[in-house]
Amino acid sequence: MIQLRNVYKRYHNHHGSEWVLRDINFTIPTGVSVGLVGGNGAGKSTLLRLIADMDAPDRGDISRNCRVSWPIGLSGGFQGSMTGRQNVKFVARIHGDENEIQRIVQYVEEFAEIGPAFDEPVKTYSSGMKSRLAFGLSLAFDFDVYLSDEATAVGDIAFKEKAKKAFKRRVGQAGLIMVSHSEGILKDLCQAGIWLQQGKARWYDDVYEAINDYRDSIGMKK
Amino acid sequence: MIHYSTHNNPRTSWQVTRSVWSALFLREATARLMASRFAWFWMLVEPLAFVVLMVVIRDLFSRVSTTQNADFIPWLIVGITVFMLFRDGVTRSLGAIEANQGLFAYRQVKPIDPVLVRNMLEGLLKIIVFIILIAGSSLLDYDILPFNPIGAIFVWILVWLLGLGMGLVVSIGAAMVESFGRMVRIMMLPLFVLSGAMIPLQVMPHTIQPYLLYNPISHGIESLRLCFFEGYHAVSGIELLYLCYWTFASIAMGLALHVKFAIRLRAM
Repeated sequence: MIQLRNVYKRYHNHHGSEWVLRDINFTIPTGVSVGLVGGNGAGKSTLLRLIADMDAPDRGDISRNCRVSWPIGLSGGFQGSMTGRQNVKFVARIHGDENEIQRIVQYVEEFAEIGPAFDEPVKTYSSGMKSRLAFGLSLAFDFDVYLSDEATAVGDIAFKEKAKKAFKRRVGQAGLIMVSHSEGILKDLCQAGIWLQQGKARWYDDVYEAINDYRDSIGMKK
Repeated sequence: MIHYSTHNNPRTSWQVTRSVWSALFLREATARLMASRFAWFWMLVEPLAFVVLMVVIRDLFSRVSTTQNADFIPWLIVGITVFMLFRDGVTRSLGAIEANQGLFAYRQVKPIDPVLVRNMLEGLLKIIVFIILIAGSSLLDYDILPFNPIGAIFVWILVWLLGLGMGLVVSIGAAMVESFGRMVRIMMLPLFVLSGAMIPLQVMPHTIQPYLLYNPISHGIESLRLCFFEGYHAVSGIELLYLCYWTFASIAMGLALHVKFAIRLRAM
């Protein structure tokens, strides 16, 4: 269960600081998958980072009584000068799986299917290769909740299918909090939805309603 | 498909920290030693190059002969390596946070971790370099074995801790203020010249000597020489306690800065 109570967040810059998130309150029950929708800059990634404990809210508090993954997505997570294999080993080590390293590395190598590039520095990867690696890496661990920030957006069709299947297999045992601009994948994988608009979050028990309200707000037909 | 359990039961903070440090240590050691084929070579050659330079300068001008009760070359080796211990502790910390920015995506890794780990690694490498230099010059019949080894180890650790404390402080500065790192690097050269690592403080003008003694590194360098060379005449006014104050203050300051700015540094 993940609970947010009166969460406020803003980033300080030289031109003042607007609240990105204002008074966010919701509870995500265990095992429920949630789709986050909203325009660019609405605060979806910020919310995900807060849930992942990568950043702290300015006010309010967040409690998580489960193992939450890091946000799987394009930005961060890898050290560019290290190879894919070294990055995977690093992450296995910080999670304390000293004895599992070989198996984790093997699992990620097989899942990512990037061939010999696995032993090249990550900075030489294309965005698709990076997302394959990131995705495989997160699946090698047993989290209760996976956070995905457009994790599959840049993958090719084959990979998108594979990723979707892997996530579907986890549904039931693990929850998913997902930011995506592809409605298909949200409808496929999520039950509940959150619509972020002007710093406020609105909870929907049905992700379809969240998507519809979001579409209405920008004047799009259903 | 096989799943690996992340934690069967939650690990303690100390267990998490330890696995982060060991993972970062392996990463930093690989980057430091494997980046170039000559990494080890340069680590040894740099201090030696300064020794040779200073010997040549002394022979050309033959004026610097105030290193009483200590041979000039062992005197230089001790001073230069311990200065480099401090210098590299500081300069390697400058890039520590930026170089590992991508890894802060994992909540287990805090910005202070790469700084601490780099300093541990640097300290270890410098010990190895120092031992090689001592062994090498002993074989060449220079009198360089410390007559007070326990004291020498203590002073060495103290200087290492000063580098660590300063490194903690400047790592924050470098991550938050533009060109801060460049300024620190530039300041290292005058510090090298003025801290008595290669030019005895006694030959500096008497009017500026009291000011030079505000520099804690001078106290570390001269204290270490006092432990190495029996009957060595250090410049007057050397206080090991003064170095302790600086070490303590810089570590406290560095930790406080990291507590204050940890969140902001991760979010960048």
